[in-house]
Amino acid sequence: MISCRNLTRRYGDFTAVDGLNLEVDAGAICVFLGPNGAGKSTTVKMLTGLLTPTSGTVEVCGLDAAANPRELKRRIGVLPEDLGLFDDLTVEEHLLLTGAVYGLDKAETHRRTGQLLHALSLEHGRHTFAASCSHGMRKKTSFAMALLPNPRVLFLDEPFEAVDPVTSKIMRDLLMSAARRGVTVFLTSHILSVAEEIATQVVMIRKGKIVWNSPAGELPQSLEAHYFDLVESPVVEELEWLGSPRS
Amino acid sequence: MARLAAILKALWRAFQRGEKSIATVAGNNFFLVALLFLGKAGSFLFLIMGLVILFPLSTDPLRKIPPSRLALWPLEKREQWMLRAISPWVNPMTWAIAALALWAVRGSVTVGLWAMAAGLVAAGFVISELPLPAGAAMWRRVPHFPGPLDQLIRKNLREMLSTLDFYCALLLSVSTAAYRMFGPPLPAEAFLAMTLLVVVALSSYAQCLFGLDGVGGRSRYRLLPLSGWQILAAKDAAFLLVAAVLSAPLAPLAGLGAAFVALAMGRRPTVEDPRPQTRWRFSAGASPMYGIGQVIAMAFAASSIFLTSWLIVLPCVLVWAGSLWWYGQRLEERELAG
Repeated sequence: MISCRNLTRRYGDFTAVDGLNLEVDAGAICVFLGPNGAGKSTTVKMLTGLLTPTSGTVEVCGLDAAANPRELKRRIGVLPEDLGLFDDLTVEEHLLLTGAVYGLDKAETHRRTGQLLHALSLEHGRHTFAASCSHGMRKKTSFAMALLPNPRVLFLDEPFEAVDPVTSKIMRDLLMSAARRGVTVFLTSHILSVAEEIATQVVMIRKGKIVWNSPAGELPQSLEAHYFDLVESPVVEELEWLGSPRS
Repeated sequence: MARLAAILKALWRAFQRGEKSIATVAGNNFFLVALLFLGKAGSFLFLIMGLVILFPLSTDPLRKIPPSRLALWPLEKREQWMLRAISPWVNPMTWAIAALALWAVRGSVTVGLWAMAAGLVAAGFVISELPLPAGAAMWRRVPHFPGPLDQLIRKNLREMLSTLDFYCALLLSVSTAAYRMFGPPLPAEAFLAMTLLVVVALSSYAQCLFGLDGVGGRSRYRLLPLSGWQILAAKDAAFLLVAAVLSAPLAPLAGLGAAFVALAMGRRPTVEDPRPQTRWRFSAGASPMYGIGQVIAMAFAASSIFLTSWLIVLPCVLVWAGSLWWYGQRLEERELAG
């Protein structure tokens, strides 16, 4: 469902993504892990047709992302890094906009909007403008916008960060249920425990290059231990001044 | 004092990085026109107003520090006041205003004039501190429109209604309509002039239609499966609606023709050089020269329609449609370039 070959993106001398090769099957939940600045968001942007690769090819839902960007947008749902919300629309209006633009009829848009607002506990804030929403509400709104058109592939950039535990659980359940019905999920996250719970495929990236790619069941150790071994190990420095009497 | 010096140093650095367009003097069409109309007596105040309120360079440097961060820093009350007083001088435009004021009123300083200038400077710098709605909360109820672009047009309408351009145009429209109803009769040409002034007051916004969408909004445009022309058409619909309503009591067709031309002329900076705008301020266009060109084209269109035939509206629409198609494609190309 997602396939990329030698995907590369350079910004001047800096190579953000370097020769990435990746295959994700339909119905998989692929968790894309890596430290800040490793190239995760750049990869997601190229996979979703938002950024033209310097070289290499991307195919999503059988479509070349560079050649058919608009057709691709119709088939995928995206939760972008910056959430992509308009300050001057309310939570509910964002969902109504999504339904209309993706060609759903009014009744179906309202039905799905109501269900998503209820499922994600957004009902109380449905008339709140995005500019006045908390970060968690904004993230849930963007997540609901990604789901509403019933896409074949979901790209989610850090969906679980900044949401409350109950909503996080609901989001995980929704994603796993969608994946069971054949929806492909490609997500980035820094919350390794959540990633481990839902992943069927794990990909790790460091400095723009893939350092691990396997089914989740083939990890040799816990996800956290493997991540620390392969990607970056935490070096805890002793800060002698921390907690000492003020100087 | 060390804390204050450190903050000011950081502010200076942040301000320099954020204001790379120091050579670009951006303006607002309405004030350019007002400057032309006013004689020497008013030019000083208008120049001050223009410098303080209109130019993006005059934004308060203290806004570079998020208010939540500023509130967390352990600053004494005295330090906070000093920061407030000194920080505007990080902005080179403050020095320019001061120099201009000294030059303009040399030998004829009056207390009232200085008070006015000081008030305007203060208004320019503290306007961001005023508790105005962050978004368009005061415009919750706006009409619905047919078609899939309904919510986008409503959003664009709310954005437009949160600029001072709209209120300036509204004031002109309402006062002229009131004069028309209750005052002595005016020559027909007066309505052409006032209509043109109304649309000119709105026209700088046509040069920065994406200015209030923010990073998230621009990102969403790239995700929606819409053509470039559809995104621009949703912007234009809001602009045309406002222009049509405000020019309706004056010279409606001339106003509409001028609005079409304003959009067509504003297309290049809107798409090629999108400039972030600030709510509850006047819109800042691409440059005074560009603005003058836009105003001349609008004046030509409006007067042709008013003085010759309403059919002149048709070429205005054609020019607008051509710009919509061409820059719709450019918008898509820019989106892909990332």
